[in-house]
Amino acid sequence: MSSSALEPAAPDLVCQMDNVQGMVDAFSAVRWKRHQDAVIELSEHGVVLIVEETSCLQAKVYLQRELFIRYEYHAEGRPRFGVSLGLFVDCLNTFSAPGRSSIIEIRYPGPDMQLLIKSVDSLDACIYAEIRTRIPDTISWDYNFEPAGSSPLSFTVKSAALKEAIDDLEWPGSSIKISLQPAPPCVTFKGEGHGDLQIDFMYYANTDLLIAFQCDHQISYRYKYKFLQAATSNLPSSVIRDNRGSKLTMGRGGMLKVQHLVSVARPSTSHPHVDSAGYQQPSRIAYIEFFVKPEVNEDAANDS
Amino acid sequence: MKFKAFLTENGVSLLEKRFLPALDKMGKICHLFLTRDHAIFLHNLLNGDGVQCIAQFRKEALFDDYRISSQNEDRIAFAIDISLLQRAVRSSVSICSEFGSGPSANCLQIKLVKKLPPNCTQPMPFLTFETKGYKSAVIQDVPISKPLSRAQVLELQTSLDMAQDLPQTLVQVPDLNQLQNFVDRMKHVGDVLNVSVSKHGDLHLQISTTLITLGAEFRKLMVIGEQADAPPEDKNLSAQTRAERAVLRGDAQSVQVSVKHFSKSLQCHLAKPDCAFYGIAPQGACLTVIFQFFIPGTHQTDKSISLHCRLPVLDPGS
Repeated sequence: MSSSALEPAAPDLVCQMDNVQGMVDAFSAVRWKRHQDAVIELSEHGVVLIVEETSCLQAKVYLQRELFIRYEYHAEGRPRFGVSLGLFVDCLNTFSAPGRSSIIEIRYPGPDMQLLIKSVDSLDACIYAEIRTRIPDTISWDYNFEPAGSSPLSFTVKSAALKEAIDDLEWPGSSIKISLQPAPPCVTFKGEGHGDLQIDFMYYANTDLLIAFQCDHQISYRYKYKFLQAATSNLPSSVIRDNRGSKLTMGRGGMLKVQHLVSVARPSTSHPHVDSAGYQQPSRIAYIEFFVKPEVNEDAANDS
Repeated sequence: MKFKAFLTENGVSLLEKRFLPALDKMGKICHLFLTRDHAIFLHNLLNGDGVQCIAQFRKEALFDDYRISSQNEDRIAFAIDISLLQRAVRSSVSICSEFGSGPSANCLQIKLVKKLPPNCTQPMPFLTFETKGYKSAVIQDVPISKPLSRAQVLELQTSLDMAQDLPQTLVQVPDLNQLQNFVDRMKHVGDVLNVSVSKHGDLHLQISTTLITLGAEFRKLMVIGEQADAPPEDKNLSAQTRAERAVLRGDAQSVQVSVKHFSKSLQCHLAKPDCAFYGIAPQGACLTVIFQFFIPGTHQTDKSISLHCRLPVLDPGS
């Protein structure tokens, strides 16, 4: 092998990150099964990781360029490549040592179109990885999310409460009806099957759980339980610890958007208790979005 | 065939708090090999292709009033269940501690006995713990295998002698916890670990599959044995290239071992060694890990205790 490891041209992306655990947390949130293919899209604004399932569920993790301590982008257009999500997360996890913030450098593409990762904070101990990338599959379904009407239909609920509610709804059946009603302002999750279970978040009664609520007419849609569970069950513990909220929005045709915020702050600078009104450094947050298609159902009770 | 001895306070604490927990991780059953001067715990020396682990104590490190006799040059060996041994030692400690100030002198005797267990027609061998407390005395019988035959003991002795070969180059790993953390996370990615040790003091670990190559390089480690200066032009190379070139130059050796074995051998840190050395046996026969223990309060090697592991090398063709 020759010693000249010089790249012919600058790679599309060279970036450095000082909180690997935050990255692992963010990507783990969209890891709902063992073998999952992910598409990574690079741009001058940051890195987006996309996973989807059977044209009914899509998840995106946005790592904005502000999260990186160095971000050098040289590509034309938006390069995209496929990786195995599980392998990528397990690999990143190797770089994260408990109780120590380690800096990694990510580079794409390598000489053989690999994704290259290496630790850069110590001269005498170095960890490195090369992950094979694939030509990405075309995204099978357009998840363009459009608002349902002139005024948004959305609510923000504490992530822990949302996760708990979805977990509790596991037993009744395979589909969950989510209803919003303006008066009295209330969100209802209802599962029917082997019995039924209904969980209500009353806006005025649970202001500590249901933080925001916007709805001008009654609406309800059914969603597959397994997709709602995928969107909530893998939230990293930091989300619960930081007491964050998740925002759910119903778009045109009942498409549900679930948004989570995951901290990518360095452990030394993170606040142990960030209350919902408290200041959160916007640049140290990774945004996670799930898009869930509703179940097709003729007798869907839509009063819109 | 006779064996009896008193476990010293130091011996009890070495076994109970450090060595037995570590050895338990190496495998449930091990051989205990007793000679005139040493007590040796051996894993996988006679059978199997697992990690060989050898913990050797000079008799004074564990025992007082050590008496052994057998027709085979006063050597006795048998197989014993580590977790049972650990339980017996642990409960003996609690009984001895009834005195208030911890185990006192000569309150814990161990000896080999043959007893007729209930519902059996044939006497069975046991390692018996006799513990004398302030108010109570307790006898615990730990079942053991039939003592090994003369031929088996010879075989054990031969493989033990063979296992004493030192690699030509050993590098010191300063932080076992860091290494263990890394390997524990790394093992999700693949099964086969490529390990190379160089005379320049580099330890290079790498897992390589069709989808991913993941590696770690630890440099400028202390070297014992054959060493060499790294060529300056290697300084700016990638870890992988550097390791490959060192192997080609003959300044490094490289072997493949199972990630599971590697991770298991790191469990030896439960014995609280003061440092660890990695080396590759001549002809790449195995990967050797030697744990070093200092005399408390000094930086001098405690020669009465030794612990090392030998990891079988995987056939690169497989």
